[in-house]
Amino acid sequence: MKDYLKIFLLPFSSLVFGIFILMLIVYFLNSYEIFKREGLAIYFTNVWNASEIPEEEYYGVLAAIYGSLYTSIIAIIISLPLSISLAIFIVDYAPKRLKEFFIIASDIMAGLPTILYGIWGAFILVPFLKNYVMEPLYQSLSFIPLFSYPPTTGFSYLSAGVLLGIMVTPFATSIIREAYRMIPQMYKEALYSLGATRYEATKVLLGYIKPAIVAGMILAFGRAIGETVAVSLVIGNVFNIDISLFAPGYTISSLIANQFGNAFVYEYMVSALFAAGLSLFFIGLIINILALYIIRRWKYETY
Amino acid sequence: MKRINTRILKDRIFLLGIIILSLLAILPLFHILLTIFIKGFPVLIKGGIEFLTGTLPPPGHELGGIGPAIIGTFILVTLSSMLGIPIAIMAGIFAYEYPNSFIGRATRLLLQIMMEFPTILVGLFSMFILVTPMGTYSAIAGAFALAIIMMPYVAISTEESLREVPKDYKEAAYSLGLTRFQVIFKVMVRIARRGILTGILIGIAKAAGETAPLLFTIGGSTRVYFEGLDKPIGAIPLLIYNLVQQPYENYHQIAWGAALVLLLIYLLIFTPIRLKLREVRL
Amino acid sequence: MIRKFLLILFLAIIFIPMCTKKEFITITGSGATFPQPQFEKWISEFIKEMPNVRIEYYGGGSGKGLNDFKKGLVDFALSDPPIKKQLWKELEKKGKILQFPIIIGAVAIVFNVPNVDELKLSRDVLVDIFLGKIEYWDDERIKRLNPDKKLPHEKIIVVHRSDSSGTTEIFTTFLSIISEEWRTKVGSGKYVDWPVDKLGRGLGGKGNQGVVAIIKQTPYTIGYVEYAYAIRENLSIALIENREGNFVKPEQETIKEAVKNVALVFPEPDRGYEEKIENLLDPPGNNSYPIIAVSHMIVWKDYPDEKAKILKEFIKWIMTEGQKDTYIMPGYAPLPKEVAEIGIRAAEMIE
Repeated sequence: MKDYLKIFLLPFSSLVFGIFILMLIVYFLNSYEIFKREGLAIYFTNVWNASEIPEEEYYGVLAAIYGSLYTSIIAIIISLPLSISLAIFIVDYAPKRLKEFFIIASDIMAGLPTILYGIWGAFILVPFLKNYVMEPLYQSLSFIPLFSYPPTTGFSYLSAGVLLGIMVTPFATSIIREAYRMIPQMYKEALYSLGATRYEATKVLLGYIKPAIVAGMILAFGRAIGETVAVSLVIGNVFNIDISLFAPGYTISSLIANQFGNAFVYEYMVSALFAAGLSLFFIGLIINILALYIIRRWKYETY
Repeated sequence: MKRINTRILKDRIFLLGIIILSLLAILPLFHILLTIFIKGFPVLIKGGIEFLTGTLPPPGHELGGIGPAIIGTFILVTLSSMLGIPIAIMAGIFAYEYPNSFIGRATRLLLQIMMEFPTILVGLFSMFILVTPMGTYSAIAGAFALAIIMMPYVAISTEESLREVPKDYKEAAYSLGLTRFQVIFKVMVRIARRGILTGILIGIAKAAGETAPLLFTIGGSTRVYFEGLDKPIGAIPLLIYNLVQQPYENYHQIAWGAALVLLLIYLLIFTPIRLKLREVRL
Repeated sequence: MIRKFLLILFLAIIFIPMCTKKEFITITGSGATFPQPQFEKWISEFIKEMPNVRIEYYGGGSGKGLNDFKKGLVDFALSDPPIKKQLWKELEKKGKILQFPIIIGAVAIVFNVPNVDELKLSRDVLVDIFLGKIEYWDDERIKRLNPDKKLPHEKIIVVHRSDSSGTTEIFTTFLSIISEEWRTKVGSGKYVDWPVDKLGRGLGGKGNQGVVAIIKQTPYTIGYVEYAYAIRENLSIALIENREGNFVKPEQETIKEAVKNVALVFPEPDRGYEEKIENLLDPPGNNSYPIIAVSHMIVWKDYPDEKAKILKEFIKWIMTEGQKDTYIMPGYAPLPKEVAEIGIRAAEMIE
């Protein structure tokens, strides 16, 4: 018997694949020019010589790659304690009504259009961080390299990192929550019957879902690194590489957002930006596969 | 005795810490919602109906309106839904029905990867394969990008909600002599429709709120309403993004007003999602 | 039920706009933000008399304008610097193009230092601030020029454009004229590799508007924007040392004097690439403001019938009515008559 269903469905599945592969091809083809010209130096130098004379053009997106990684790391450092706490609180401690409320709130937060985070970040969060976090830290602790940059503007890695941290927390929470909830009730009961306090029990249980937490954080990192508009409103948009949290910088996605609109005037800029996009493409791909692998292995081992 | 006390103390501190951090985690949401209401509401009141229908004023004192952006967002969402949802549902059914075949597994993996994909990359892609050949920014190019972005959400929730349907139904349907085709479309999809609908709404919510994929695809009209699907169009998120970067006070006000409109649209889509299903991952 | 409801909603959304659609002729352009306030004023005045015409100008920077024009995404582009020969030739592959000046403006150096509303900057100090050599606002060299001002010991933050910009090209060309060091180290162009960025004291804003937005919000910043933006947003404007050694602010008179003192010789519309911005910068004259610029409009020679007709009329209107004082926004200066005639000739060339 012929499987008509499969014949009917296959084109749709193939279409999804086709789009994805086409996307990959487009990125590779367009980056080719710049790789031929500069090689991998595009990823390891920090220059942006846009010139209408093609011979003078030279691009290096190191500052953007650095900024993307830096801000995303800040984001998950912030998000880690918040999302674990929220997950535990929702599953174990919140009274039923409150539980419902917290779940709804974090769902709303997870899907909130990112531009709304952006407008709030630019007008509310940046001035707040500048006045109440960056300035006190700079005044008292500026000998530490992390705090060594004068926070005159507020547009900085820190602002972007905090905003991203807030944005990815509900997402990370939902992954941790799901894993935490899946722990058999038996385990919890066993722990309590041994006389463990809530703190001790939770510590053991968290150890048990550690792979899920790691995966959640990796996925949150992936979300953070791909975010564009909210970040580009608070990062400062300059080709700067600085260890200080308070310095302005660039991220790959905000670089594309800022420069792509005029890239076709130049001979090689389009290609340089596609190459930058390609790096984002691969970071995203690696992160996703890694996280999915961790989750799958964990599920496989436990069940 | 003393040891027990420190244990209890530790426990208390732990619980307190959990509660404080949990509150801290969702505090920003309320601050964001509150800020948007406080700053956006007076703008809506002052601008009145014209704020929803009018066009962008010159810099100065007028509020004008965000009509083209609202129409644009609705058209983009509709168009991207028409492009993306059918494909996504079919792909989701495929992943459900053939979970052990290579293509089935690969489809599922691919969808999960696409869900986490940086959206600006999709925008660039759409610009390259649609805007450049067509020679104009267009609603279609924007909708194409948005369709790619909403597809994985719809497909994965289709697959998951089909999987939640008890096997008995399927077996019963087969025993009635229905073909595989009929079993899926006449029985399974109907039973799982709530879950599928939830997925559709999540996809729509995503499409309505995205900015990055529209940056280089739709042009961003602020004074021209709608002239055809192959012509430039506006969108609320893009409008907000552009206005925020302007120095003019009235533009900032319009941005807050537009943010409130976008928030209301989002909540309008979100409410049925909540009513339908308890656990949702956006 | 829900599905039906959604279906109806979708159909309504699709059809309502289609039914209300009227027959408009729409002309779109993008590009320089330098003349944007003036250009939008012209559009709103012009379409008052033309009810079935829509002209939409997206701004986005000179680079974006040329980018979109090159790709055929818009009908015309505005750019401050004239098109260079290389790009001109590339565009000519697609069709004949015309370029002509539309308005004169000035680049103002604006700053935000609390309690300081006026600042004199000599040429070498201006260059060294943008090179990053002068680090603090209370640097000896700034103090010497402004002895009666209370300058704080704060780092100078330089705000520049993050997009490819004609304003940047004009400003960096000016810096290259007055400083050999700038010319060799940084050079000029729509986007340059700002030395201050690498010192962590730079910030990028999108469009003239973006730069203004940052400077307004952020104390201890300095940047360059079109004069009209500085007036409208009440930014503090620095006095710049001109060729004769006088410190001048951009003002109606100082701009007019500068215009008077340069040879306003422009090539014909179909040979626009022969134009050089250097001719306009740093003119002689006691009271001349040194950084003035002309914005250009770039159009194709051939359009479909209706568009050609509207564009012709629009350009002619800009060059005659539009140059009258009543339609000129504060911060700009009208073109001298013989220059405006170039635009009229261009309009006549459009087919």
